[in-house]
Amino acid sequence: MADLSEADRLAQETWLQRTIRRPEIGSFIVMVVIVVVLTWASSGKAFNALGLKNNVQIIAQYGIIAIGAALLMIAGEFDLSIGSMIGFAGMSMAIMLKWGLPFGLGEATPLTALLITMAMTLTLGWIIGNIVVKSGLSSFIVTLAFLFFMRGVTEVSFRLINQSTQVSGLPDYKEESWVAWVFGGEVFGWFYDAWFWIGMRFVDMGFERTDQWFTLGGNINRRGTQWVEGFDARFLWFILIALAAYFILSRTQLGNWIYATGDNKEAARANGVPTNKVKIGLFMFTAFCATIFAACQVFENNTSDAAKGNLMELFAIAIAVVGGTLMTGGFGSVLGVVFGAITVGLVANAVFFIPAIDGAWFRVFLGAILLAAVFANERIRKRITGGI
Amino acid sequence: MAEPYLRVEKLVKRFGPFTALGGVDLEVYPGEVHALLGDNGAGKSTLIKTLAGVHEPTEGQIYIEGKPVQFRSPRDASAAGIGTVYQDLALNQLMSVTRNFFMGRELKKSFGQLDLDKMNQIAHDEMLKIGIDFSDPTQAVGTMSGGQRQTLAIARAIHFGAKVLILDEPTSALGQKQQMGVLKTIKRVRKRGDIAIIFITHNEIHSRLVGDRFSFLALGKVIGAGTSDEISDKEMRRLMSGGAEMGDLEQELAAI
Ligand SMILES: Nc1ncnc2c1ncn2[C@@H]1O[C@H](COP(=O)(O)OP(=O)(O)O)[C@@H](O)[C@H]1O
Ligand SMILES: [Mg+2]
Repeated sequence: MADLSEADRLAQETWLQRTIRRPEIGSFIVMVVIVVVLTWASSGKAFNALGLKNNVQIIAQYGIIAIGAALLMIAGEFDLSIGSMIGFAGMSMAIMLKWGLPFGLGEATPLTALLITMAMTLTLGWIIGNIVVKSGLSSFIVTLAFLFFMRGVTEVSFRLINQSTQVSGLPDYKEESWVAWVFGGEVFGWFYDAWFWIGMRFVDMGFERTDQWFTLGGNINRRGTQWVEGFDARFLWFILIALAAYFILSRTQLGNWIYATGDNKEAARANGVPTNKVKIGLFMFTAFCATIFAACQVFENNTSDAAKGNLMELFAIAIAVVGGTLMTGGFGSVLGVVFGAITVGLVANAVFFIPAIDGAWFRVFLGAILLAAVFANERIRKRITGGI
Repeated sequence: MAEPYLRVEKLVKRFGPFTALGGVDLEVYPGEVHALLGDNGAGKSTLIKTLAGVHEPTEGQIYIEGKPVQFRSPRDASAAGIGTVYQDLALNQLMSVTRNFFMGRELKKSFGQLDLDKMNQIAHDEMLKIGIDFSDPTQAVGTMSGGQRQTLAIARAIHFGAKVLILDEPTSALGQKQQMGVLKTIKRVRKRGDIAIIFITHNEIHSRLVGDRFSFLALGKVIGAGTSDEISDKEMRRLMSGGAEMGDLEQELAAI
């Protein structure tokens, strides 16, 4: 069989070669470098008890929306309305909680505020998706229109209903509402308990509480002042969304349809893939992610304002690309996006742990790795498509 | 002789005032390769698009196993066992062989979960049957040669129930060696005995190598047809050039 040797030319790879060829490898290496550099430059403070909590907060924020943006990009479309959707959803929930439900339906609870807001944002996502697939216009321009439109609606609504572009001083709903707690509370307290327990065993063994171990995160020397109880609830949402997206993309029929839609829409359609439904569904998914993002913000701080989520769409897209997602669609991985979110989140926060540096370096860094990632992704695409 | 699986009678297709097909008759038998030849613009693609349910015929009738059928969409045609492999193959380069093989018709376990082991196995086995032993069906289609992609598209059509396999110029975009690979694949499919193949080409050598039956199309009409025994090489060349005698052509060329 003459074709045999040709077919097998690519098959003779070792496990190591296969790993190196994985699309996530670039973002993984960058992430490891950042973790190491940051640990060293902050003398470990970036990963002590409080540092870890703060870093996870921003990583989870970026991660939630970047995963939505990445799935949509894999299907071949962009969503520039994510940031405005966050602002809109936050406004909607905060105003309902403060001023009551629309149409005189009475007082809002965290649950009703969330459900009505989610219904509105999913509808908006559905409308955006329909406009894009029915008109055949570029999603770039359609969602750019919604970026302005919804930010404007958010501000106008704040002024008309609330007389100010900010809602603050809402009661702390976390006390009595499980919904508020699920978004604004703290999770994985056992992690810090275990950390504390391990620290105590070291004390039992005769170590001093001021030893390096404890500055590194024994979570014990700060008792009374900055004692950390757990991670933000958004960490759990990030994990759930990432796991669901990973499962769907790599293991399900829908995942196959998402890749097929972004790679070659006509080929997908010729084989019976409902490409329009896939795209509309993913525009709704980015709206969903933006709403989760906003709910965590509102219920954590019991405030909201008209500028919330500003520029987040660009961070989401940048992180998706840093994570190995192709701008042209058809290729990307959830794992890569998670690495990207960790990398970008850590650098965004670095200024807090290394006060000597200017915070603007974050954007310099982001611009540089974004450009590097685009080139790296293009190389991967060429390798897979044989250079076409 | 057995009954033809697919029969076309006096098929006419007009696009507005333009007659693309002017009354075409065609019969294809299981286990046979029916080579459809003709110059560019002769109407070959229009004919197969009508058979594949992309166009509705203006006049005439299509029969499957003797029964008249009407195709309103490509779905109808594929449900009737007509599998079309277009020139662009409808493949996604960035996706794996298996994911392309099952695109739109994935095998599922519970919760829409893909049965990837089974899918890999089937993709591998179906391609092996018609000639390539692809040890790693998780490899991207972009890494395959043009001939291998043809094989994948053909194996896919057969697996999903094609009884008539329509191949639109499968060799035209390939290099010499890969053209031979595709011809071998066609032969292997023919050997199964249960599938009728319509092989569109304008290469007379290729059609001679694998064809059992020939139809020559020129300006929307069948200008000649017959089995490989009935049609001599000379006759074939005459029909290929749209019915003109070679001698006439030589004279015309010499006159310039
Ligand atoms: N959708 C269409 N509308 C109008 N004319 C068409 C259409 N499709 C094909 N034709 C015409 O029909 C003729 C036959 O085309 P085609 O079937 O593609 O030829 P072939 O595949 O043999 O080269 C050509 O003159 C072409 O311009
Ligand atoms: Mg043609």
